[in-house]
This record gives sequence, structure tokens and C-alpha cells, in this order.
Amino acid sequence: MSQVFHEIEKKIIASLRDNPKQTPESLEKSTHLSPDQIRRGIEWLKLKDLAIVTESQSSVISLGKNGIESFQKGLPERRLLDLLKSGPKKLSDLQKELGFVFGPSIGLARKNNWIEASSDQISIKNFPSELPGEKTLKLIGNEKLSKDKLDPNDLSGLLKRPDFIIEDIIKSKEVSLSDSAKSIELSDTAGEIDVEAKVPEVFVARTHPLKDTINEIREIFVTLGFSEIFGNMTQSSFWNFDALFTPQDHPARELQDTFYLDKINAKKIGTPDQIRKVSESHKKNWRYQWDINEARKMVLRTHTTCVTIKHLAENKPDEARIFSLGRVFRNEKVSYKHLVEFNQIEGVVVGKDASLRNLMGIQREFYKRIGITKIKFWPTFFPYTEPSLQTMVYNEKLGKWIELFGMGIFRPEVTKPLGITKPVLAWGGGIERIAMLKYDLDDVREFYNNNLGWLRSATKCQ
Amino acid sequence: MPVVELSYTRLQKLVGKVSKKQISDSLPFLGLDIESENKDLVRIEYSPNRPDYSTDFGIALGLQGLLGIKTGMVKLNVKKSNKYPISVKSDVSKIRPFVTGIVAKNGKIDDKTIKQLMTMQEDLHFGIGRKRKKSSIGIHDLDKISFPLVYTTTNRNHKFIPLASEQEISISGILENTDVGKDYGSLLGQSSQVPIIFDENQNPVSFPPIINAAVTTVTTKTKNLFVEVTGINKEDAEDMLAVVATILQTAGFSLESVKISGAKNSTPKLEQKKISVSSSLINQILGLNLNTAKIISSLKKSRLDASSKGSNIICTIPPYRFDIFGPMDLVEEVALGYGIQNLEPTLSPSQTVGKTNPISLQLKSLDQTMIGLGFLEALNSSLTSKRVLYDMTNRDSSKIISVLDSKSQEHTILRDSILPGLLENLSRNIHESYPQKMFETGTVFTLDSPISEKINFSGISAHKDANFTEIKSIIQSALKIGFGIQIETKTAANPTFEEGHCASITLNNVPIGTIGKINSKIVENYKIRVPVVGFEISLSESILKNQN
Repeated sequence: MSQVFHEIEKKIIASLRDNPKQTPESLEKSTHLSPDQIRRGIEWLKLKDLAIVTESQSSVISLGKNGIESFQKGLPERRLLDLLKSGPKKLSDLQKELGFVFGPSIGLARKNNWIEASSDQISIKNFPSELPGEKTLKLIGNEKLSKDKLDPNDLSGLLKRPDFIIEDIIKSKEVSLSDSAKSIELSDTAGEIDVEAKVPEVFVARTHPLKDTINEIREIFVTLGFSEIFGNMTQSSFWNFDALFTPQDHPARELQDTFYLDKINAKKIGTPDQIRKVSESHKKNWRYQWDINEARKMVLRTHTTCVTIKHLAENKPDEARIFSLGRVFRNEKVSYKHLVEFNQIEGVVVGKDASLRNLMGIQREFYKRIGITKIKFWPTFFPYTEPSLQTMVYNEKLGKWIELFGMGIFRPEVTKPLGITKPVLAWGGGIERIAMLKYDLDDVREFYNNNLGWLRSATKCQ
Repeated sequence: MPVVELSYTRLQKLVGKVSKKQISDSLPFLGLDIESENKDLVRIEYSPNRPDYSTDFGIALGLQGLLGIKTGMVKLNVKKSNKYPISVKSDVSKIRPFVTGIVAKNGKIDDKTIKQLMTMQEDLHFGIGRKRKKSSIGIHDLDKISFPLVYTTTNRNHKFIPLASEQEISISGILENTDVGKDYGSLLGQSSQVPIIFDENQNPVSFPPIINAAVTTVTTKTKNLFVEVTGINKEDAEDMLAVVATILQTAGFSLESVKISGAKNSTPKLEQKKISVSSSLINQILGLNLNTAKIISSLKKSRLDASSKGSNIICTIPPYRFDIFGPMDLVEEVALGYGIQNLEPTLSPSQTVGKTNPISLQLKSLDQTMIGLGFLEALNSSLTSKRVLYDMTNRDSSKIISVLDSKSQEHTILRDSILPGLLENLSRNIHESYPQKMFETGTVFTLDSPISEKINFSGISAHKDANFTEIKSIIQSALKIGFGIQIETKTAANPTFEEGHCASITLNNVPIGTIGKINSKIVENYKIRVPVVGFEISLSESILKNQN
């Protein structure tokens, strides 16, 4: 097999053939390549199973401060013995001559029976020609030496003495060629590169995958002739519930389903006329005592419909196509299919000719544009629309129909009190559900984990 | 949405000549979602506005109509009777003023029927009963009760044997020691007197809305039933009774009236109501052109009665269909009877020109600019935790906005800043390769009157050489390219950032945000092992323009 090698690889292989086991440092010297080139070259060869890298540890010995002094002037006990060579000396004189090393040197010489003392005179008893440690000290000198090149017995005494020996643990790599590399023919063709070799991965910066779906849906609504409106995520219960004909004791309004803001109430919730007419509609149809304080409670919107109905109540258009897109909140346990905060799209058509079949028609067109063609409509129930339908779309992967958007025509109990006279077609649903289909996810939490592994690798959906 | 479990074979018996497939194909067109199926059993989700669908009897009525087996309204045949009087004492007026009821005779009760009736009872209690507050039902074995009954009050020391027990317990004991007592006792408030239904011999029959007496327990040996509904609102109580009566009649019982008198109570009327709707409204809303005969037959398939008067349709609605408020509800009934699958979607010719909100457009362009600068977009929840938002970053938490009773510890407060979330993202990605550069734009919340919402923009860069100069050049370029804006940075201190490496970002000398090297202690808190630099600015006041 003929392979193409980079110039770096060739040099490393050639050098390893001459000298089969080398450290990266010795390869630098033999090939005249930079440390970085050597590192890269070894990585490439490793990936191709041509190089074997074994990592090992070794101890390197050098002299510390006292060790260097002893190397230059002799060991303290050597200095003592040298002073006594010419005959016995007084203790006080020795102390003056030896200074700091006087104590240790006397101690050692006594312990080893090299000297003897009579009254205050110190004299030599035995005179060893080479003291323990002297051989090692000379051997090391100003160098750094691998520990296994030294006599361990001779070294051990020095290791116990303060600041004599510095021991460093050095991790080293040893590179050798694998068997397959030994038989490789290195072509001489210069300038060729291995176009099949693996390359490092580059991560693109990009919009968030969920944002891509949000933008796509926004775009579809605009091309279907809808204009976008904005609204707050924090809303009074009045616009989130009361204006949408949800009675004040409705289970959906309870703490376990809706996020209420702690100790925060809205002062102004609507015009006096709006408040009066909405409350009358509740009292008449739901038969209970409507309480304005309940309507003042601030919630995190549970749907974007509150934004739409407020817009319609303020503008009372005869004809309109508008949509609202944004985050909504439900007080649910977070799971693979539920988030406390997710995105919703909601569109309405106002017009005297607006009909349920039109509403179904717009849905069909919308789904077609996001690539879903197998749909059907089933009746369902929403508190604020009548008639109400839901779209079911067929999921090929799951092999079943799943619920997507809800839709309906706003009830007169909703529109009349707010002075909206024309029929309002409304529909909406969660965007994450569509995005999950697009990105083939089965855990909705993935969208908000900001896991770089996924963000960097998820394929952009078309 | 409530769920009910049904058996196909039982449904087939109740509906008439239909196949299992016909039933399963038709259920969704009644507005019922099939949740799961297992051989003969099918679990169905139904809408809370149709409590009659809490039993197979009610669903069978709907299926008969849709499949054309039996159409038109189900009439309640209630035989007038004087044998079952209930008198009401005025002492209940302040606690639970209304009672109503009915007798159902000669039915067959097997285990499955008992199960269906119990589901219905529970769902009615939850839905229109609002957890038994507005109204609640007791179903009893008629033959164990000696009439006349009295609906009155008693004190909390009164003892009797409650349902599913064998010994006498005082009412206080029931409220303190039984599950139903603990769940619903609060509905009775603090008053020393509680509602009770006594029989002729002063023996309790029921302690509404908590529990029945054991003596009237319904078993498979029961032939005749007595149903009582109590509540705080007469109409709600009668609505509930109408559902129970309709279901029991469908289950094969014959109904007899209960005579109620006293304290503004009266014998239930179980009245039908009439609503008229014009055929032009129906056709306009549905986008169809149906003649009155077709409209009437469609309504009959939805189990209502209807006749025409000119172009108006006069519709008769049975008392259990209290979900029908007005003409629009009838439009829906026509649509269901006509068959949603027969409505062909159409597109109306549109003259409107759509428009993206200018803020969306500006934010999208900012996203593109940041991506050009090599920053990956992150999305975080606006509901976050005190730990992420304040504790980890040394930020001032005095103006915290909390939600009540969140089910998730990680989602308890609204963010007033985006940067802490990005730091949290870095913290979760320490095993991924560096550099890591991310940005996010999103809504932040501050206490105002009551709350103001603004859009902030934050970016973060983490790698071994991250430094102030790098991040300043990013925000400077992003705003210059994105919006043609030139910002300045002025020395500032901020506990989130390293002293001497922090600045406020100003635009025309007005501060709009902060930039700097994240305090190494905070970086350590997040277990990040490389330096981090970041910024956050407010886009709302100074940069985004709403050109609506």
C-alpha cells in the first residue's frame, strides 16, 4: 500500500528507523523540526497506527542549595576532617572556622567514629578516604541526572539531609514505530499531502436550532399575510383569563397549573367599560360573584392569546390578520415532554367572511409549508372558542397521529364584552413540538440545555 | 383533561349494531381523544365541559347520534312521585343551602357499572363541582333509606358509621382522620354546625359534601338508587343532577321524582331549554351552504332536537347539555353532526400584506452579526433559580420577583439579567473544547408598576487567553455593524466582575450595561477552569426602535 505522508511524518519515520526509541525532544534534535511540528506529526502517525507512544515517569536528581555548596567546598564533615589533618584542634577554633556547618559535621564525625575528643581537643581517629555521598555529589555536580544512574546507597544519606538533593518527577514520552510502519515505503515525491487524513473539527457559530424553527414559522406567517404583534410575558389575570371567559374558579387558574407572581398585583387592568362588561358576562353565564381582586393578580402568561385579545380589544379591527409569537408558562413538572416555559405561536383572522373552513384552509397551508402534508381535524374543547378543533398530524416515525395546534372561533362571550363585532378565527400551538419533529428529538429539555455538543453538531433543518 | 376507561364490547352492546372499528374511528369526531388501547380496553380523554362523557353510557348516546343509529334528543322520563319527600331546614342556608335529588329504579348494577358511576361522580365533583365546593353528589341504595328525609345541620360530635367503615365515628373524627375529611373538610369552614341528611329515624344518610353513611352503600345487589346533590348554587346542583339522571336512565333505570321543599328549595324541574339560531350564521361560520333540513338532521345527530321557523332554527337542548350557552355553541353542534371530516378546508383570497415586527427584525440582524463574530446562540429560561441568578454571581437580590408554588426548584424567579444563565451554560460544558463563545438576547424583568419587561443582550467568551480587550472589541463591533452605534467603556466596579477589569458600557454618556472579566471567585463557583469575559446591555431603551 502506498501512502502519502507529510514531510513532517517522513522525517519522524526516518529518524525512528535510525534510532527506534526516542523522546519527542530527541526527535526535535534529529529532525530539526519544531516542538509543535513534532507533536502534530506524532498525532498523525498515531491516528494511522504507525507510531506507538508510551508514556513513562522518571525521577531526575539535581543538587539543592546545600548540595551545591558541598559540591564546591566539600561536605561539612570533609571540611572538618581536612582541618584536623594537621593535628588536634580546639573546639572553639573549629567552631570559628566551620561556622554554620560546625554542628552537623561534628555530630556526623562522632557518630561514625572518625574523631575523638579529649578535654577540649578534637583529633582524628579514623580517616576514611572517601566519605559517604561524596561519589554521588561529584557525579551530579551541576547536572540533572536520572535517578537510576546513581548508586542508591550512596544517595540515600544525601536525600535525608536538608536542601542537598532536589528530586523531580518527569513524565516522558517515548515514540517508536509500529510493525506496519517499519515496512512502509517513503515516497520521495515532495509537496504531496495525505488528503484522506483526519482533520481537526471546526465549530461554526450559529443561531440556536430552536430559534431557526421560530424564525421559519414567523416567516411563514408573514408570507401568509399576517403581521406580528408583541406583548408582555407578565400579564394580569384579567387579560390572561377573565377576558377569555375563563371563570375565576376554573381549575386551570389554580396555583398548581399557573405561575402567579408573589405579592404582585396590577393596579390598572383595563378600561372601566371593559371590566364591567367582562364581569357581567361571567356573572350571567357562569353564575358566580366575580371578584376584581382575582383579576388583578399577576401571572406569567399561560398562552399568547392574552396578547391577541388585548390587541383586538384596543383596536377593534373589522379586518385583520395578526400573529403573536413568544414564550408562555405552565406550572408543570419538567419532563421529557413538558417544560415550564416554552414558545407558542398564535394567529388570528378577523373578518366578516371568516369561516371555520377558512381556518382549516390556513392550517393546511401552514403545515404544507413546514413540510407536513398528512393532517386531519378533530373536534375538541377550549373555554374561549366555539366551534373548536385540533389538528392531528401523522408522525411517520412514531406511526401515529399526534396533536399539534388548537383552533377555533372566539366565543361571542369573549368578543362581545370587548366590543369586537366580527368573527375572529384563532389558532395556535407550541413551537417546541414542531421543532422536536424537525430535529428528531424525543426530549424537549434538550432545547434549553445549551449543551455545546448538541448545539455545535445538530444539523441545520431546511 | 379527565380520562375514562371503557370496554369496546360494553360500548358495542350499548350503542347497537356497530363494529369495534366504527367506534374507534368515530370517537375522535365526538371530541374524544384515544389515549391508549389494550385489547378490549380503551382509555379516552374527554373535555371537562362534557361530563356526560365520563361514562360509557354517555359516550354511547353520542356515538348513536354520530353513526345515525339513534338521533335526536334524549328525553328524561321522570315519573312524578310523592313517596320521596325531602324537607330542608333553614339552618343549612348559611353553609350549603341547596339540595336536589332523584330516585332511579329497577336497574342492573354490575361491577363495571359501579365503576362507571364512580368515575362520573369523581369527575363531576372535580369539574362543575369545583372539587365539591359548588356541588357534590351522593348515590345511595334506596331500599336502605326510610323517607321522609330532612336536610339540616348537626353538631360535630354527632356519630355515625361512614362509608367504607365498620365503626361509629364522630363528624370531627371523620374530618380529622379520613382522607375525604382532610381533603374537603375546609369547605365547611369553622362553624360548629355541619350539613347532614337524616332519614325518618334521625339516622344520617349523608354528610355532604364529605361522605355517605355506610348503611346506604351501593353494591351489585342494589336495584334501586337514591341520588342527592347538594351545593351552594341551585342551578349548578341541578346541572349536576341532570347529568346523573340522564346517565342512569341510559343505564336502564326508570326515574321517579323526589319532592323537595323548604328554605327556598324546590323539586328539580330538569327543564329543556330552547335557543334559536339563524341558518345564515351557521353557514357563514362554517363556510357552508346547508339547507335547513340538513342543519336539522345534523343537530339531531348531535342528539339535540330542532325545527325550522323560516330561516331560523329553533333548537331544543336537554338539561344535561348546560355547556350550550348560545347560538355559537349550536354552530359547533351542527359542525359535529355534519362531520368535521366532511368540511373541506379552503383558502380565502387574501389582500393583506404580512409584516414582521420591527423588533424581531432588529434582533434577528443582531443574531446574524454575533454569529459572524463567532458566537453561538444560547437560549435559557426566563424563569430561573435564585442560586443561578444571585447566589453564584454575588448579585443584589433585593428586588427579586418570585412565582408562587413552582413545581420545579430550578424555576422559581424571573431573571433580571441574562449573563448568569450563560455562566451556568459554561459550567455545564466544561468537558467541551474551548474556546466557548455564546450569546443570548431575551426578556428581563424588573419590579415597576407592576413589572417592566425589557430586552437584554449578553455575550460571553471563555478560553485560556480570554481578556477584556477581546470582549470589548466584540460588543463594539457588534453594535457598530448591527446598529451603527459607537459605545464607550468607563471604569466601574461590579461584584460580578474582577476589580480593575470592569467597565460600564455607555452610549452618548448614558450607561446601558456592564462589561469585564468575570470575577475569578465566581468562575471558580461555576467550576470553570479558564478565564471568562462577558458583557450585558439593555437593548430596549437605547437601541431597538419600534417603527410600528
